[in-house]
Amino acid sequence: MRRRPMKVALLSESMADETALRVLVEAVLGEPIELVQPSLRARGWPNVAQVLPSILRHLYFNTATDALAVVVDADDSPVHTEVHEAPGYFHPQCRLCQLRSVFRKTQRNFAPRAGRERVLRGVGIAVPAIEAWYLCGTDPAVTEEAWLKGQAAGVAPYTRRDLKMRVYGTDRPSLGFEIQKAMECVRRYQVDTRRLEADFPDGFGRLARDLRTWRRPANPEEGGPAGG
Amino acid sequence: MIASVQFKHFKALRATSVRMEPFNLVIGPNGSGKTSLIQACLRMRALLRQPLPAAGEPPGARRPDKGPEIVIRFAPPYADITVHLGGRTEHSLDFIEVRHPRTDEGRARWEQLRDWLGGIRAYLFDHYAMAEPVALAEGGELASNGRNIAAVLAGMRDHLPDTFRRFEAEFCRALPDFTAVDARWAGEGRVELALRLREDGEWVTAENISQGGLYALAVLTLSFAPQPPTVLCLEEADRGVHPRLLREVRDALYRLSYPESFGERREAVQIVATTHSPYLLDLFRDHPEEIVIANKSGRSATFERLGDRPELKAVLGDSSLGDLWFSGILGGVPEDE
Repeated sequence: MRRRPMKVALLSESMADETALRVLVEAVLGEPIELVQPSLRARGWPNVAQVLPSILRHLYFNTATDALAVVVDADDSPVHTEVHEAPGYFHPQCRLCQLRSVFRKTQRNFAPRAGRERVLRGVGIAVPAIEAWYLCGTDPAVTEEAWLKGQAAGVAPYTRRDLKMRVYGTDRPSLGFEIQKAMECVRRYQVDTRRLEADFPDGFGRLARDLRTWRRPANPEEGGPAGG
Repeated sequence: MIASVQFKHFKALRATSVRMEPFNLVIGPNGSGKTSLIQACLRMRALLRQPLPAAGEPPGARRPDKGPEIVIRFAPPYADITVHLGGRTEHSLDFIEVRHPRTDEGRARWEQLRDWLGGIRAYLFDHYAMAEPVALAEGGELASNGRNIAAVLAGMRDHLPDTFRRFEAEFCRALPDFTAVDARWAGEGRVELALRLREDGEWVTAENISQGGLYALAVLTLSFAPQPPTVLCLEEADRGVHPRLLREVRDALYRLSYPESFGERREAVQIVATTHSPYLLDLFRDHPEEIVIANKSGRSATFERLGDRPELKAVLGDSSLGDLWFSGILGGVPEDE
């Protein structure tokens, strides 16, 4: 029997990011999703974290949404690393840790509703901005590792502006052009996202791991579906 | 390009100056001089239309000893030319003096600059006027309230079909309720604006289109104009537009001031836009040098460019510009009693 598509909400910082995120989510899941309407949008960080609790409550109580995928830019914040994955660890400046915490705290006391206990979680961080993901595979100098080394040395290997210039040829692209370039770039990952996961293991890789838990039966060894 | 404007005793602008960039978004409380900056530009254009004394000769009208004084400077190659405006009361500007090198070359450059200054335009759109049918012959340049937009678009459609198609595609992408824009025949030599609805293909005339939709259409029309203004002043750039559509407004204005970023080869248009929208301000986080803050203290106001603050990055942190403006720490907020 054919499964119904998952009802998925996407939360990001612009329509261009949302367009890219949808392609990437479907690529990891290996199937199309039904996008929750109206589309969600936040005004950048920290607005994402501020509106996320209300969005989760809305999706859970007012809609039949299965899952919410959130992607924000890291900007200059600390990058999520393996250390942050230790049980009970929480880095107060790490945006991925913060967003996961919001998922967890908001949904902790949700009463079971319509056969579900929570909205499934998918959280990713683009390090330092989503344009880095767009350059993956075409510019080998742009990786999370390069960014982390730069942070440790106190010299960023590139700036957000550099990334925009490389992707769009300007740091003032129109929204239409951003969407066009986003689609051109992420189309490369429609079949296989492994390169993106390898080069951006803690920003995109963590998102991909969250997404892959969505369809699986709960497995105690893996902690079950990512729900917060 | 206008490089700077210096004010003395003009309305609330008692003693301040502002360095001008290609794009200038002016924020501040009511009565803080945002509109006065635009008025100074417009008054300069108007006074330059009148006959001026021959270069190097004393001005025909005696410069008032009191009253406002505004000095406008320009970017190279016109950096050695200044325009001085004055008036008899603090609310009037009826005197102009131009200072330029007293050489043939200097006079020639001044004439070039004078032509350029003739292209200053200010817009405050009126959706009622835009909805009225207008004579097709009134096409060409968009009127300051947008009332002839149908004729302007008819001209673009008929004479620049490729440009019109790009304009239409951009508008319909931004407002996906619509699939086409047209200027339809309204009889007696007049045309009226009409948009085709995506849902049922029905055409609706401008009187049935939202205020914000018409304003967005007008800004986009300006951004695709074959001969746009040299300096474009736009009051309340966010007016009537949904916060999520403000990016489209910013992009349309950027298309004018940074044409090379949009793959266009033409002269850049200098933009002076005002807003009270924190949401629009949010869109300039990567370019604080484009923000001018108008601060008001009692009856006097001063300008300050946000990008000039040395501690800016530390102050901004992770916060949004709009939130910080509202909080008051950037200035540009009304005074409490």
